[in-house]
Amino acid sequence: MALAAPTRKPPNDDSTEAPVFAVDGLWKVFGPKAARVPEDPELSALSPAELRERAGCTAAVRDVSFDVRKGEVFVVMGLSGSGKSTLVRCLTRLIEPTAGTIAIDGEDVRAMDKARLRELRRHRAAMVFQHFGLLPHRTVLDNVAYGLQIQGIGKAERRERAAEVVAKVGLEGMEQRRPGQLSGGQRQRVGLARALAVDPEVLLFDEPFSALDPLIRRDMQEEVIRLHEEEGRTMVFITHDLQEALRLGDRIALMRDGRIVQLGTPEEIVGSPADDYVRDFVRDVPREQVMTVRRAMRPASAEDAGNGPAVPPEATVAEAIEAVARAGAPARVVDEGRCVGVVDSDALLGVVAGVAAPGDADPDAGAV
Amino acid sequence: MATLTAPTPRTALPGVLRHRATRKLVTLAALAAVLVPLAHTHWAGGTWPQALTVDLSGPLGGASDWIIDNRDSHPLFLYFFGHVSNAVVVSVRVVYLFLLAAGWAGVTALGAAVAWRVAGARLALGTAAALLVCGLLGMWVPTMQTLALMVVAVLASVAVGALLGLAAGLSDRMDRALRPVLDTMQVLPAFAYLLPVVLVFGIGVPAAVLATVIYAAPPMARLTALGLRGADKEVLEAVDSLGATARQRLLTARVPLARKELLLGVNQTIMMALSMAVIASVIGAGGLGDRVYQALASVDVGAALAAGIPIVLLAVVLDRVTGAAGERLGQDQHGPRPWLHAAAAAAATVVVALAARLAGRLDWPTGWTVGIAGPVNRAVDWMTAHLYSGVPYVGGTADWAGRFTTWVLDPVRSGLQWLPWWSVLLIVAALAWLIGTWRTALTAVLAMAAIGVLGVWKPSLDTLSQVLAAVAVTLVLGFAIGIAAARSDRVERLLRPVLDVFQTMPQFVYLIPVVALFGVGRAPAVAAAVVYALPAVVRITAQGLRQVDPAALESARSLGATSGQQLRQVQLPLARPALLLAVNQGVVLVLAVVIIGGLVGGGALGYDVVFGLAQGDLATGLVAGAAIVCLGLMLDRVTQPTRRRAKKGA
Amino acid sequence: MRRRTTLTAAVAVLALTTGCGAADMTKQASPFANARGARTVTLSVQSWVGSLANVAVAQYLLEHELGYRVDLVQIDEVPAWDALSQGRVDAILEDWGHPEQEQLYVEDKKTIARGGGLGVTGHIGWFVPTYFAEQHPDIKDWKNLNKYADRFRTAESGGKGQLMDGSPAYLTHDKALVKNLNLNYQVVFAGSEAAQITQIKQFAKEKKPFLTYWYTPQWLSAKVPMTEVELPPYKEGCDADAAKVACAYPHTPLQKYLNADFAESGGEAADFLKKFRWTTEDQNEVSLMIADQKLTPAEAAKKWVDGHESTWRAWLS
Repeated sequence: MALAAPTRKPPNDDSTEAPVFAVDGLWKVFGPKAARVPEDPELSALSPAELRERAGCTAAVRDVSFDVRKGEVFVVMGLSGSGKSTLVRCLTRLIEPTAGTIAIDGEDVRAMDKARLRELRRHRAAMVFQHFGLLPHRTVLDNVAYGLQIQGIGKAERRERAAEVVAKVGLEGMEQRRPGQLSGGQRQRVGLARALAVDPEVLLFDEPFSALDPLIRRDMQEEVIRLHEEEGRTMVFITHDLQEALRLGDRIALMRDGRIVQLGTPEEIVGSPADDYVRDFVRDVPREQVMTVRRAMRPASAEDAGNGPAVPPEATVAEAIEAVARAGAPARVVDEGRCVGVVDSDALLGVVAGVAAPGDADPDAGAV
Repeated sequence: MATLTAPTPRTALPGVLRHRATRKLVTLAALAAVLVPLAHTHWAGGTWPQALTVDLSGPLGGASDWIIDNRDSHPLFLYFFGHVSNAVVVSVRVVYLFLLAAGWAGVTALGAAVAWRVAGARLALGTAAALLVCGLLGMWVPTMQTLALMVVAVLASVAVGALLGLAAGLSDRMDRALRPVLDTMQVLPAFAYLLPVVLVFGIGVPAAVLATVIYAAPPMARLTALGLRGADKEVLEAVDSLGATARQRLLTARVPLARKELLLGVNQTIMMALSMAVIASVIGAGGLGDRVYQALASVDVGAALAAGIPIVLLAVVLDRVTGAAGERLGQDQHGPRPWLHAAAAAAATVVVALAARLAGRLDWPTGWTVGIAGPVNRAVDWMTAHLYSGVPYVGGTADWAGRFTTWVLDPVRSGLQWLPWWSVLLIVAALAWLIGTWRTALTAVLAMAAIGVLGVWKPSLDTLSQVLAAVAVTLVLGFAIGIAAARSDRVERLLRPVLDVFQTMPQFVYLIPVVALFGVGRAPAVAAAVVYALPAVVRITAQGLRQVDPAALESARSLGATSGQQLRQVQLPLARPALLLAVNQGVVLVLAVVIIGGLVGGGALGYDVVFGLAQGDLATGLVAGAAIVCLGLMLDRVTQPTRRRAKKGA
Repeated sequence: MRRRTTLTAAVAVLALTTGCGAADMTKQASPFANARGARTVTLSVQSWVGSLANVAVAQYLLEHELGYRVDLVQIDEVPAWDALSQGRVDAILEDWGHPEQEQLYVEDKKTIARGGGLGVTGHIGWFVPTYFAEQHPDIKDWKNLNKYADRFRTAESGGKGQLMDGSPAYLTHDKALVKNLNLNYQVVFAGSEAAQITQIKQFAKEKKPFLTYWYTPQWLSAKVPMTEVELPPYKEGCDADAAKVACAYPHTPLQKYLNADFAESGGEAADFLKKFRWTTEDQNEVSLMIADQKLTPAEAAKKWVDGHESTWRAWLS
């Protein structure tokens, strides 16, 4: 029985390696005397509306902590106004955080002086923007080479390197056009190429595809997945589109009103929503596409062993349904040749219907 | 969604407005109820109280004498103004000698080559033709003098303006400090600048260039700041995210992103400088302006026109070329080797210049001139002879002028001067507040009060009466013509060149025909002002009407509205911002010419400025100039809706 | 920090380009002067045509007989003295008397030198058209002016008679005169001589009466004959206090003035301008050609020069 390959690389589970970004207790407050808000326990406990009333401040990011692991695609998802765009800008201090710590590879970002910060932006983290942020007076090639120019690299070399990246994002032959002559998708490819050209350690995406048509958006998502598979570059991806988050994210941080309400794998988010807000959010998600059989399986009894089709534990429920339907019998979940459990049609249906599945009893059961 | 919410604010607006307006008026009335009796008991009487004036003639006369005595000895003059003046003289001279050395053929070739590079073949032909016409009219040398002066003045204005704009664009504090100054300078009549500059630099080219720079730099500064501030935030963020330094950010992103505004700024600076080049002839600028001015002295409209046409041609050519350069910016116009084209153009210029020199035709050949003065003068004479009086039924222009003076200008003037001074302030406050914020009202009232303090209340009200009358005529004619132009393409096509010419023609040229038609006095000043302000009002009106959302018009048509209904109920209300702008522009332009009307008997402030210039009388001239500044400021504030209001109305 | 560097650089550039020492701008000539090696003389033209006539003939002779280039600058009288002192203008050929400026520049500063008389005597006065004076001969006496005040009414003068004044550049006591002589007149300033002439011509075409500030010699007098109204006679010093003037204007022999340096080192041109001296009739002949027959100043000058060789030969010797 042939099984579809997993859609993405399994998340890097090497917890001994230091995280690329370590964010702890991060605050960003806009307004007068913003700094007092995180310090004052009374103020920091207020709801956004109360805070605005009392202090005239808006807290865009409230006490956020997370790690971004090397090689993963870390998605920050939330509706507009949830603070996700502010958050990603705080990472390289495009917006100056109010309180908390940010470390990149263990180095304190907030303690960096201007030169060090420039070095960070030039070489370690590059960003792709929602509205592309291209320079309209430059050609595609020069836009892509712009980051290299800022680094002080000579014309010939940077053009050569830019040309390679332009080819990599599929814009060959358009080097001499100007952004005004390109379609939206092509422009974002330029934006992507510009970020890639400086060969950064981390790529930051700020809702890069939300201004694009659905079909083109899909193309671009696939492009990102492809790049990630090829290069394994760490990515922080901001989006308001749940589908996109689930498609791309190894882990997702779901934000609301400046706070992270849940942080976990797509499966955890969909399978065990932390609260009603999240539950509401993921209600319409086709669960069988996201949940893995690990969630639906029950321990294998002796009689199950050796019977039925085998599926790997990371196979989605949809794949398991197909296998079960073809075989007409429960499927075995086989991990490295060992049968770790069994899924039958009842359990699979339970997942699809959103009825508590056996695995739900333990919220951490899904964690890999 | 948008269609659902849009009508709500629009229908709600008048109510809100009325509410706000009444609130403002009530506040003002309460304020007046307290202050007016107080003021009245202290300083009764209609005109501005003597006790509240400051006589500046003593100190100003002293300052003027001091400057004349110390101009050749004081370090301030020797080490600062002297160098400035010297730099201007040297640079104008260098450009002038270059133009003379290139000869007429070389200059024509160079002009055409530059136009071809930046704006294409058609404009290159136009440029060459325009320059040749200047020669044909026998104005080659004055044209080159004006051109030399212009080149230096425009370069200096652009440099000064760009620097100021850069400061205002990069620093919020500078922006707050500069913006009101630049806004104000934009509305001041050129005449008001002349005297202080003359006082320091004396009559001559340096004074003319500096007055031009003061006049022409503000639009550059404003547009530079606007361009820098208007840059796409996300692009700048992207630039930051790549780790650009402040300088890289400025040079590779902000300035290039603002290049459209920068070019527009250059364009406006050139136009302002050209219009000033003529006015500056009063203080010895030389060149074409001086020819116009001299022709004026001998009442020779033809000769004035012969010198005026090159100015119009220069203005139109420079406007089109810079405009075309701006439009081409977005496109990919650079071939693989731009310098090659530039080199080719330069080489062609040199070849042509050398050829002309070898052929012994460096100077414009004396035989190649066409005298237009004779026929033009005959035409003007015929016109004035037949229109001045005794035209059956409608009466001659002299009768109109007389009636206009008696029935419009006199009542308005005596009405204004009859009003108690505090009521004038109140009216100004009410108008400015209704249309703007309390800040605009305060500025307007302070400006008006300053006029009183300067002791020129009466002449200022006289000038104001002329402005009001001229604005009324201008708006009636301007809106009518503008509506016609907006509704018919043919009318607009016919009007366009006429508007171009009248907008760039130096005002001095039509002062004489205006006197010939309307006699001496305030009527010709008003007529000249109308002629000058009309093109701008027509243009803005027509543009505003044409830019009305086609969807709104379509929906009106779909409901079966007649074209009159469409105009009244859709186009005019929607074009309201443009119409208000037209009023504002009309007022500003009219004021500028009413002042120049001092040369044709307009009297009042204009006469005082002319008198101050002619007699070197700083006390009279500078006080009148300051009063004009205040009047301009007041009129601008009273007619300029603030941004806050504009946002609410949108 | 960077701003300071920029400032220093700017100052340095300024210092380098302008020379580090002092720059006396009162000694800077026009940038258009002496272009392409030609010797240039800059003459001041005043806004009236008589002045243009002097300058046109001087220019023609300087260019055609002496080989100079001549630049003309139109400046009003008082600023022209200033410009003459600075050397931006080399000569004024017709001055109507400016004692204050003469004291300052000729006596004290010695930057301007006297250039002798022009040979023309100027006179300012109040004039009515001769066609009106013929019908009402008693108008010639100022005491009868009030009798005719309503004949001179215009829209601008309101209920009073109109006394039309010309350019603000000209010397005038008319407001004081009207007040001190108790005349029922309103002074209306035409604002420029051009406007005044245009208005006079229009009046004359209609044979309307008018009262105007005017002066002789003036070419217009040949086109529109005018008769002077006699004011109380001029006595030395009666116009000392401008506010109390109640007498006629004096007869002034018109003078020439040269920039002091130019007078010293101006060579043939300076000598020629010092000797330049002609009559009222000569001047009017040229003025009329320029202003009425609309000849260009150069054509008018050529015509006059062709017909009066004996006169101008003397200036060149």
